[in-house]
Amino acid sequence: MLTQSSVPVVDIQSFAMRFGPKEVVKDLSFTVNQGEVFGLLGSNGAGKTTTIRTLLSLLEPTSGTLLVNGKRYTPAMAPMVGYLPEERGLYRNEPVLDTMVYFAVMHGLGRNDAKKRVLAYLERVGLGDKAHERLIGLSNGQQQKIQLGVTILHEPSLMILDEPTEALDPVNRDLLMNIINEQRTNGATVILVTHRMEEVEQLCDRIVLLKDGARALYGTIDEVKNKFGTTVIALAYGGALPLNEKLYGVTKQLPHYAELAWHEGVTPDEILRFLAVAPDLHLTTFDVRRPTLNEIFLTLYK
Amino acid sequence: MWNIINFEVFRALKKKSFWIASLSPLLIILVVFGIEYFSIKSATTNAAQQAQAFSQTAKIGEFDDSGLVSKQLLAAQHIIAEPSKEAGIAAVKSGALDAFFYYPNNPGTANIEVYAQDQGISFTPPYNTAAAQLLTQSAISDVSAETKNSQVVQILQKSPAVTATTYKNGVETEGLLSAIAPGIFVIAFFLLFVLLASFMISSTAGEKENRTAEMLLTSIKARTLIAGKIISIFILGLVQLATIAVPLLIVLLSFPKQVGLPAGVTLASIPLHPVAIIFAALFFITGLLLFISLLVGFGAMFPSATEASRFLGIAIISAILPVYSLENIIDSPHTLIVTVFTYFPLTAPLTALLRNAVGSFSTGEALGSLAVIIVSAFVAVWFAVRAFRYGSMEYGRRVGIKELLR
Repeated sequence: MLTQSSVPVVDIQSFAMRFGPKEVVKDLSFTVNQGEVFGLLGSNGAGKTTTIRTLLSLLEPTSGTLLVNGKRYTPAMAPMVGYLPEERGLYRNEPVLDTMVYFAVMHGLGRNDAKKRVLAYLERVGLGDKAHERLIGLSNGQQQKIQLGVTILHEPSLMILDEPTEALDPVNRDLLMNIINEQRTNGATVILVTHRMEEVEQLCDRIVLLKDGARALYGTIDEVKNKFGTTVIALAYGGALPLNEKLYGVTKQLPHYAELAWHEGVTPDEILRFLAVAPDLHLTTFDVRRPTLNEIFLTLYK
Repeated sequence: MWNIINFEVFRALKKKSFWIASLSPLLIILVVFGIEYFSIKSATTNAAQQAQAFSQTAKIGEFDDSGLVSKQLLAAQHIIAEPSKEAGIAAVKSGALDAFFYYPNNPGTANIEVYAQDQGISFTPPYNTAAAQLLTQSAISDVSAETKNSQVVQILQKSPAVTATTYKNGVETEGLLSAIAPGIFVIAFFLLFVLLASFMISSTAGEKENRTAEMLLTSIKARTLIAGKIISIFILGLVQLATIAVPLLIVLLSFPKQVGLPAGVTLASIPLHPVAIIFAALFFITGLLLFISLLVGFGAMFPSATEASRFLGIAIISAILPVYSLENIIDSPHTLIVTVFTYFPLTAPLTALLRNAVGSFSTGEALGSLAVIIVSAFVAVWFAVRAFRYGSMEYGRRVGIKELLR
């Protein structure tokens, strides 16, 4: 299904979007390469959904170019794209099978093939007996599985998942993660639009982080962390944490957890030796680590 | 597009509400036929029974200032002469008489007066009829005594029947019969519009309510989707028409007298004029396309079908407004109001269908009106596509016309 090409799967250059006087996205540029899981991050209102909607030609950009496989997206490219929109919806009064076949045929499958795939998918997710039931009669979790099925049934080479785990129960979240991994293994490109940083750390190869519609961070997770974050010492302890202005400063302190930033010329080893002999302190963890994406995100948005 | 048509048509056909809506007009028509048939039968029987009971039991008096009422008829019906109008009224009030008829000296211009015991409200008060018939029969007796021509008496006793033959450009026309075939399109347009109006709105508003628009628009072009929906509505309309027309036709052909079909009217006697029928079909199709597109567009503009339905009334009133000017359309088709209705997009379809049916359309006018409807229909389709393209993702908010035109 995938074709090897030097052209990025998604190429967004100098994209700007204005709704009336409000500039929602400003001069945004990034690319997504074939086979990678790419995180499009930002808080609510940062411009993530607008970017995706414009990429998929649901909106017209104010300026800039947004290309999928080197071309402006048209519905003719639907068979290669699986889109899970932020606003989820299906025909609640229609039978599961009819609804899924309808969307699968719309994504380029033949009716018979679509029906076979739908039934196989329903069996896989434990809804084999629900094919002829109306969606409204299904639980929220079951409806979420149907929605995921509609997104992936035609085996798209590019999946765009807008807040995919939003409102998902743990079972469906796990199912989604497996599906993303499966698609990635099969060579699909995945764009994950989210503000859940733990998912990004688990899944994404590269990210772009938007703040107020502009690009604030862009690169691999490592690059972002190297560029933005400072390495800290994370401590888990009992007793009293001693202060030592010559060695370190305390950047964060909770009753049994603290983060230390060491001064120039000081090494973590020296601090460990100092703390190891400190009276009234019982160290359980001493971890020299880089900040998490969540911490970077919070810092950026403060 | 076939996928959309298949999905839209079959999901509607599977709904009970569709069949209830389709069958209800047929049931109403059949019930009305039944009620009318049995009412006429019952009313005729009642009138005959009432007349018989009335002549045998009622005590009736009269006072005749005109001198026109036949004494023999009065005697035959046991109606007694009162000494004066006042005495007759007093006799009714006292209960001595059931009814008293007063004939003024100039009954040709003044009313016959009836005074009677109250017998409740009736569409055909028996005493009124009796009093009038007495005078009419007396007048006919007088005339028949004077004339030797029995035709004169027959004309007075029974309204003469008329057979009209009309010509257009020297060729004999079929009169009212010629309006039947193109008139069927008027009824079909009217029925479909009323039956499908809310369906037209919900076809796009439903996508908004179900939050499916975004997935659809990334998979298919808005104009393909709207075209699919419009064709689906047409197909469903044809199903509804067939549901109503087929049983109705069977009833009309099987029981022509019972449903009040004029004598001699059969399917074969209905004239079929190709030009009128082609125009009727074009007005029907383009008119429906105009309203379907307009309502589909409204559905996409509003956050829900309920909110969009508030504007349904405006569309329905605009569409059926020409009915209120029916008399002008038939008798004075060149008045200003009919001309405006003929060329104003929202009133043009029904006006054109009506004028085409009654034959008050010149070819030039018909083509002009058709052009207006076709252009309006294309604008409406463009509007519907744009409304869906830009309005269907605005969940929970109405999209303004200005936004759509941007």
